[in-house]
Amino acid sequence: MTAVVPALSPAASGDTGGVNVVALSVLIFFFVVVAGAGFWAARWRRPASMESLEEWGLGGRSFGTWVTWFLLGGDLYTAYTFVAVPAAMFSAGAVSGFFAVPYTIILYPIIFVFMSRLWSVSHRHGYVTPADFVQGRSGSRGLTLAVAITGFIATMPYIALQLVGIQAVLEVAGVGSNTNWLANDLPLFIAFLVLALYTYTSGLRAPALIAFVKDILIYIVIIVAVIYLPAKVGGWGHVFDAAQGKMEATNPATGKPVGVFIPGAGQYWAYATLALGSAMALFMYPHSITATLSAKNRNTIRKNASILPAYSFLLGLLALLGWVAIAAGTKPIGVNGKPNPQLVVPQLFEDFFPSWFAGVAFAAIAIGALVPAAIMSIAAANTFTRNIYKAWLNPNATIQQEAKVSKITSLVVKAFALVFVLTLDKQNAINFQLLGGIWILQTFPSVVFYLYTRWFHRRALLIGWAVGMAYGTWTAYGVASPQTPHFGGSIANMPVVGQLGYIAVTAFALNVVVAALLTLVFRAVKADEGRDETIPADYFADAGDPRVEKLAPGPHELTPSA
Amino acid sequence: MSTTPHRHEAPPANKGLLALACVLLAIPIVALLLVGTYAKDEPRLGGFPFFIWYQFLWVVICSALTYAAYRLVLKARPHVPMNPEGDAFLDDDHRANPREDGLR
Repeated sequence: MTAVVPALSPAASGDTGGVNVVALSVLIFFFVVVAGAGFWAARWRRPASMESLEEWGLGGRSFGTWVTWFLLGGDLYTAYTFVAVPAAMFSAGAVSGFFAVPYTIILYPIIFVFMSRLWSVSHRHGYVTPADFVQGRSGSRGLTLAVAITGFIATMPYIALQLVGIQAVLEVAGVGSNTNWLANDLPLFIAFLVLALYTYTSGLRAPALIAFVKDILIYIVIIVAVIYLPAKVGGWGHVFDAAQGKMEATNPATGKPVGVFIPGAGQYWAYATLALGSAMALFMYPHSITATLSAKNRNTIRKNASILPAYSFLLGLLALLGWVAIAAGTKPIGVNGKPNPQLVVPQLFEDFFPSWFAGVAFAAIAIGALVPAAIMSIAAANTFTRNIYKAWLNPNATIQQEAKVSKITSLVVKAFALVFVLTLDKQNAINFQLLGGIWILQTFPSVVFYLYTRWFHRRALLIGWAVGMAYGTWTAYGVASPQTPHFGGSIANMPVVGQLGYIAVTAFALNVVVAALLTLVFRAVKADEGRDETIPADYFADAGDPRVEKLAPGPHELTPSA
Repeated sequence: MSTTPHRHEAPPANKGLLALACVLLAIPIVALLLVGTYAKDEPRLGGFPFFIWYQFLWVVICSALTYAAYRLVLKARPHVPMNPEGDAFLDDDHRANPREDGLR
């Protein structure tokens, strides 16, 4: 790794002021520490065998309250969040940025209600992915495939965006070049290769262990920053006045205000639906569910719902750094000489802190990308293995084969994310991530409603999902922004309400209405409701309760009813 | 895939306490979705606009309410272990009680 620094020095020039050697050295130091921890994690709480999804993919379902706290904190509050939220605050203001705070507050009461049930039924039946549960509950291969594919494709751009987070840090540290693709991409390539290797060997244990380092660094950096920086730029009062000044000024290009300081009456729906829709969607992502199912008992997630808001507080402070940067006059300019708001927080740190501390901050963000990227790739791999490979390609796969396929898929997924970011414009990753949020919310009825009731007919749920996906995609396609003619944002006019709102929520409402109406139709014609392999008591099981032993499938059961 | 046949209900619960826990959990959601109640600049607190510090305050309130709900649900529906076959509860007295079906 250290050899990279001198090799890159001549390439970096221009506005970022060359390579910041001290900061980069600190960054590399932490990266090496974390990589060591990642490989060592295979020995942590060492299982008899790593060759099963229970062990490799869920850490043996053994994590207690604190490990889960760090793991979920590391998983949900990603590097991209840390880069994008202040960037949104800096360039567009409160509606696109600060909604992350109510979002990550109301998130916890919502998951408090249903995640324990999902943990219990998954414990009893050995479910590893949300689609596993949908299969067991509905007996519908079609619906299961829909949930699995949605989870998989929504996770992919999310992994790619973690790379964007690392790139932002490297760019400000002076690594990168307009002309030399090798100088630009090699550090990212090496970082992801190392990540891929320790994820392959250690599974979920690697990000669980690294999350400790990541979260401690993040807490230190943000707390120091919010105490030190505002004083340097004239106090919080001045920060907010500067933000208000920028946001309420008129943008000469559009004739409208630059952004939003405090939402006006026309933006209440947008702010509220962004918070609500994002909160409902977050725990539909396979990586959130993976981290939850790795907890050792039913109530770990509930206890965590009351201590995870510590991260929301942190996220709120971080969001405000976007406005601190306005007061500080930070100029986020990329190596290509163009302004890039995503660089605003790293640039702020480089401008105001000694190099070594800027390095710690860069390390916090970069490691912050590695933890979720690892968990996401594991979750995507588990989804592929269970719900595509085993369900459709090789129904007789042994648990060893499952683990093998999952490990290899985790490599493929990361390679794909790397190629995606290196070859396509970054905007594509952002567009797909935005779509991913809309898509993943459409699996909410199948996963969450099913935890409580089988009233909804499985075919109605499938059609509702399809309608929600189509409406959401089509509506998002029609949103233009100054930067891009399509997929320019996640808010659009909500029919009936007549206000701007989060597209995912409108699509979700449509999804539920369609599913409910069609359920009445399917019930009237007495369509096959499928077989439910769960019983009411499964939803209350805890650690220590017996697991359901699956009988080996007989020859007549090799193709379950669709 | 098939499982050993077994049918039994959810463990018994104190519905009043469960309802109370639900109310506690609903409070922060409702409060924060009513954006109009807090989308204003004044009164400022230490330079922070009301809009900002009010939401930070809810982080703390929500955490406290969620913790209270956690204590309540533990009390409302204590865990009842299953027998090794997973087809009944170990404490069979519970089976004699009428109970609600499934909902939380």
